[in-house]
Amino acid sequence: VRHRHGPPRLAERLLGALLRRSPWSESILGDLREEYLALAAGRSRPVAALWYWAQSLSLGTRHVASRFDRAATQPIPTPVPTRGDHAMRTLLSEARLGLRSLRKRPWPTAIILATMALALGANAAIFSIVDALVIRPFPFEDVDRMVMLAEMPSGGTAIGTQERVSPANFLDWRRQTDTVESLAAFEWWEVNLVGRDEPESVLGFFVSHDFFAVFGIRAAHGRTFVADDEVFGRHRVVVLGHGLWQRRYGGDSAIIGQSIVVDGLPHEVVGIAPQGFDFPMGSAIWAPLAFDTKTAAVRGRRYLTVVGRLAAGRSLEDAQAEMAVIWDRLVREHPEANSTRDLRVMTLTRGMMDQGLGPILSLWQASAVIVLLIACANVASLLLARGAERQREIAVRLAMGASRGRILRQLLVESLLLALAAVPLALLVTAYSLTLLRSYMPARLIRFVPGWTSIDVDGRVALVTTLIAVGTAIVFGLVPALQASRPHIMEVLKEGGRTGTAGGSRQRLRRGLVVAEIALVLPLLVASGLSAMGTSQFLNGPQGYDPDGLLTLRLVLPEARYPDDDARRRFIDASVERLTAVPGVTSAAMTNVIPSSGTNAGRLIEIEGRPEPDPQQAPRVDFRAISPEYFATFRVPVLRGRAFTGGDLAGTQPVAIVSASMAKKFWPGADPIGRRFRLLNTPDPAWVTVVGVAGDVIHDWFVGRDQPTMYRPYAQAPSSFMGFGLRTAGDPEALASAARTALRDVDPMQPQFDVQSMRTTLGERTIGLQYIAVIMGVFGGLALVLAIVGVYGVMAYMISQRLHEFGLRIALGATGGDVLRLVVGQAWRLTALGVLIGSALALALGRLIEAGLLGVVSSDLRLLAGIAALVVAAAILAGYVPARRATVIDPMVVLRNE
Amino acid sequence: MSPATPLYLGEFEQMVLLAVLQLGEGAYAVPIRRELASRAHRRVARGALYTALERLEAKRCLRSRMSDPLPERGGRSRRYFTVTPLGLASLRASRAAMMNLSRGLESLLEKP
Repeated sequence: VRHRHGPPRLAERLLGALLRRSPWSESILGDLREEYLALAAGRSRPVAALWYWAQSLSLGTRHVASRFDRAATQPIPTPVPTRGDHAMRTLLSEARLGLRSLRKRPWPTAIILATMALALGANAAIFSIVDALVIRPFPFEDVDRMVMLAEMPSGGTAIGTQERVSPANFLDWRRQTDTVESLAAFEWWEVNLVGRDEPESVLGFFVSHDFFAVFGIRAAHGRTFVADDEVFGRHRVVVLGHGLWQRRYGGDSAIIGQSIVVDGLPHEVVGIAPQGFDFPMGSAIWAPLAFDTKTAAVRGRRYLTVVGRLAAGRSLEDAQAEMAVIWDRLVREHPEANSTRDLRVMTLTRGMMDQGLGPILSLWQASAVIVLLIACANVASLLLARGAERQREIAVRLAMGASRGRILRQLLVESLLLALAAVPLALLVTAYSLTLLRSYMPARLIRFVPGWTSIDVDGRVALVTTLIAVGTAIVFGLVPALQASRPHIMEVLKEGGRTGTAGGSRQRLRRGLVVAEIALVLPLLVASGLSAMGTSQFLNGPQGYDPDGLLTLRLVLPEARYPDDDARRRFIDASVERLTAVPGVTSAAMTNVIPSSGTNAGRLIEIEGRPEPDPQQAPRVDFRAISPEYFATFRVPVLRGRAFTGGDLAGTQPVAIVSASMAKKFWPGADPIGRRFRLLNTPDPAWVTVVGVAGDVIHDWFVGRDQPTMYRPYAQAPSSFMGFGLRTAGDPEALASAARTALRDVDPMQPQFDVQSMRTTLGERTIGLQYIAVIMGVFGGLALVLAIVGVYGVMAYMISQRLHEFGLRIALGATGGDVLRLVVGQAWRLTALGVLIGSALALALGRLIEAGLLGVVSSDLRLLAGIAALVVAAAILAGYVPARRATVIDPMVVLRNE
Repeated sequence: MSPATPLYLGEFEQMVLLAVLQLGEGAYAVPIRRELASRAHRRVARGALYTALERLEAKRCLRSRMSDPLPERGGRSRRYFTVTPLGLASLRASRAAMMNLSRGLESLLEKP
């Protein structure tokens, strides 16, 4: 969106800053923009943007270099500091010297720049994701004044234990708090809209009247809610989201005060939300959360999310202290519902954050840091080699009276220049990897990731990257600089310029770096291997049903139009019949919950013949209300007993089919058929007889594998939430419009949503994992390449230093094979040591991933062995290539150089 | 002030001056570069061209003026160039030197 009219803003600003003091800046920037526009009109915008970046980077570097050149042709003030020497001037002259020395060796400089750009770019990309999703996901003003209140199981801190709030508790909090003003609750709402246009299902929320005040939001037209809207009976009013208002109602403000049909009942439109406000989760419409007297007293069912704004002058700690007192009182007054819960007050940003996001982003950030460390090791190793080459120059300067500090500073300034020069390149890498990252996310999921659209390279990212660059420059520059500036002048000068084997400790250091690199690569590769295996398992592994050739859709019957079980049953009967008749459909079935869809339903049960459980501790099983064709349509095997038939009706014996895991859990070692159980907290506590056992379905790879599940015929347990599955031999997506038409024939006022193939659903459900796998794969690959370059660099340098020795060996009768064995043997020893250390790290990391993230894959020893073999092979190859050159040495040539 | 003695011009400098002359009123960096590409088949780096223009202006072979701000340049101006009398004299001198040196070599230098 940002680049619609002009060239990439960041590149333009960067170039503008570099040219700042040039009188040519205006005409150069103008020329570039002019040509960019011509190019963007002719070709695709990304190509033009890439072109612009390349042009501005080359112009910028040329300009800076020429300024330095011009300055450098002036006599440089003598490098020996004199009294009254201004620190800045010294630094500048050192920078000039450094730039000269870097330009004198273009190849190592280019390699270092590329390495740093990739590593810094990877870090910047992850930082901008963390920044957008974790640090500032919500664009509200004073977002740090906004809090979220949640009930947690006592002592629960683990992932996935965050709980919602019951209506009665919320109402008590709202009455009693002084530290939080505008305490508001909201509840998910699937909205059916009819009239004006085709019936449509949109996402909305029921919100208490203070909801908009929490975010400091005023209506763009009309008003938001007032306390009176919450009074049950006067609550049929809505506020429309800006997008929905534009799209469905033509952006006409005359809609205010008019009545629209929502969920089958007329609602008055009282206001339009301002553009851009769609909290939470891209909500398109809001209605008051109005409790009837019965609901207002409910304390045991928790389904509200509670947010608020801190009162003026009160801090989060104040609110926590006050709410703790209030909660103590509520626990005393209502122990049956509240004694097993804790109340937690946290910032909105923290509360709304996806619980899985933290570990994933930490994993990425850790991987990015590892890549950066490997890159640092490589650069340090290259600088060590360069230090060795410059030993004579440095020794001469030391001998002429330069202080060690002075030399050290000079070398550090060089590393700093290298690191800073890599920053613009790194930001380029970041910008393009983020573009790729963003484009991969399905549009309909973006609203579930707050902050996603603000992932971008901005000033903060540039600043952090620059800081990291400076930090790494010190890390990778200091050790080689200390090495190179060590005053062993006499030895160097005495040796007549041949470095020979003088740098023994330097070689040890470089070998140590290579071992460290390989040790770091291994865990990264294992992590990326595990993520890839996990994702592939999620997508392609057995699901317990057959996801191919299956179209699914969902809908919610509004209570106003389907008030009783009979009405719902008639709708389902007619729908299954119509859907089965669609050409190309081999069978169709209804279920209240579609497998892998991200929604779920559960019931508390009591097993016959066991003591009646405490309602707090009763076993909970997943609950599915299905039509008889369900098992055939979804291809879930019925292992024992029978499937449901058309004869299982409201008036006949209550029956159920249980999943294999449920049978195993409640009737271990016994035949479950004929056993009975009943549902708790329902108006119909009749005993239900088990008539069959079905295979387990993986409803959710994270938490829903082998989840005990009971199936009931919908005729005996109708539900307002439902989904349909259609099996076909052909392309399921091709059936979508025919399926919609069939359902419209049953009820023209009833919209459907999520009409898509089961494969699409699976893809969306695993999008997070796919991201993990791809990003970890990129990190793993990057790290491997960098480490191999590191091995190559060390081996090539070692060989160049020992050419003389090899020549001597060959002259004395060693064969090329002997030399090859010597060199490759050394590469092998380094790699083996690195792999050994790395395997230990990888095993530890594997445990972590296994436990925290995927749960699907075990850290497989075969995977580790395979990766270790890959690393060893690559490293030996990296040693072999330069070693080949050592075997063809002509001893005469090498020894004559003496 | 009479035009000073003609200056020595490098090959690229001559090409740039000729391109500016060819373009007449509309000579700014973008078309100059295009001209060099189309007539002389010389693809020059943008930065090299700016350096040459700057140097020629410093030698007073070129003069430049800024246009009004233009919307398609994001409100920035164009820098238009014209060849000065000194520039023209220097071009003439370079050309004459080439001609003198080439005299008698037509059979070698011209296409058969």
